[in-house]
Amino acid sequence: AAMRNRAEVDATLQTAKLNPAELLPAVHCLSFGPQAGGGECCLLQLEPGLCAELEAGRSLIIRGEKDEHAVLCSKDKTYDMKIADTSNMLLFVPGCKTPEELKADQASCNIIHSQIAGFSKNYWELRRCRPKLKKLRKLLMEDPYEGPDSQKDQTSTFSKYTTEDLLNLIQASEEEILHQLQVIDACKIKGYWRILDFDYEMKLLNHVTQLIDSESWPLSKVPLCACLEELGSLEPREMIEHILLSYGRKYVDDGEVFFEMHEDKICRAIAQMLLQNAVKFNLSEFEEVWQQSVPEGMTTRLDQLQGLALVDRSSRPETIFLLKVEDLPEDNQERFNSLFGIREKWTEVDITPYIQDLCAEKQTVGALLTKYARSSMLNGIKVYNSRRPIS
Amino acid sequence: SGGTGALAQWVLLELQGEVEPRQSGDLAGSLLGDLHYTCEGIPVLIVGHHILYGKVVQLEKPFAVLVKQGGASQPSPMEPHAHYTVTALIKTKLLFKTRPKPIITHVPKKV
Repeated sequence: AAMRNRAEVDATLQTAKLNPAELLPAVHCLSFGPQAGGGECCLLQLEPGLCAELEAGRSLIIRGEKDEHAVLCSKDKTYDMKIADTSNMLLFVPGCKTPEELKADQASCNIIHSQIAGFSKNYWELRRCRPKLKKLRKLLMEDPYEGPDSQKDQTSTFSKYTTEDLLNLIQASEEEILHQLQVIDACKIKGYWRILDFDYEMKLLNHVTQLIDSESWPLSKVPLCACLEELGSLEPREMIEHILLSYGRKYVDDGEVFFEMHEDKICRAIAQMLLQNAVKFNLSEFEEVWQQSVPEGMTTRLDQLQGLALVDRSSRPETIFLLKVEDLPEDNQERFNSLFGIREKWTEVDITPYIQDLCAEKQTVGALLTKYARSSMLNGIKVYNSRRPIS
Repeated sequence: SGGTGALAQWVLLELQGEVEPRQSGDLAGSLLGDLHYTCEGIPVLIVGHHILYGKVVQLEKPFAVLVKQGGASQPSPMEPHAHYTVTALIKTKLLFKTRPKPIITHVPKKV
């Protein structure tokens, strides 16, 4: 179509009975660009902070396999994407000036021919969400590292994952993924992220705790060098250092590297080792064996087992069994269904470790319970049960 | 992903109803109308036989314009799994919510 000229614009104004004196001199003649109807452009509504990130030149990435809902990831946050419909038509126009811009630029062209790049009745809306990290553990558990002597690694046909691989497969931001790798004590072996096989991990831990005991080192000051020297012939040095990092806090004193061992984490690991061998245990028997099994100087406490094991105080005798929060579903409703399937009524104290990780930014456990559970009183104590019949 | 150069700033026009070509056939290349501003900064859009008065709105949540990469011109609904590039940012919209005032005329004035 031929471009409009000033005379045609003025004629239209006259027909419309608009007074040019009341208008700014510049006019935008809007037409549809060549690609306008193609549907290749779409709109994404930005949450606070994302606009600044884009302007700073950083990327946003949309992640998701065909069977997953897409999420958008910035450098450190993850967002669910949802389509929002408006009843209006949204047209996007490059090079369209606002009144302020026109007034500021008095010399601007009298006619601005603007081409509409595209239009839409809807746009992508973002909502900050928890990163979908359960898959990370699942992938790394496909092939846990059993140590250098294991034949498995040589002949293994399982996938191993680099940082790049994980970034492509996990619906979370890079920072969230790297942080989670640290939380689950993953380590990089030959460029691939690995989780240790639990038995191998306990073997390494046992080497260290036995050495601490035989050397009578204080638990708060375990020397790295001596560990590497004494244990270096038994296990790779990287693995010795890794187990110290996983179960201790590294610090430097007078130029030497030491570790302050995490008593709670060590007790917890030993409890897991004991509990995984049976469906459930007599509570008092377990507590006795557990205390005897931990290194000298450490004290076991049931609260060390939050999110790992569950005590049944209604059975006679009282029992305890393994229940790991990381084995439970990631989706909120599925998590609650699963928990109520295991036990019909929960106290807040008992259920909190198993739903804490579901809390969104600024959401409380109380809010989750209000939404997904129904409360009642049992023997004077407030308990929570399912809102719906469990199938 | 973000662009390597500075991102362009576009403007959003929000209109009621549908956009349809006057003649049957493609929208591409056809005129929408003339956009004026009054001296007070009120946008005035003349579309066909209608005058629309609107207002300039600074968006609380700006938009990013995503362009699908890979060029296949399938008129498919938005596919999140396709590869997109951020082409522009939109921080301002011209909102036309008022009922269009019809322009009474017989024939567009020929010049």
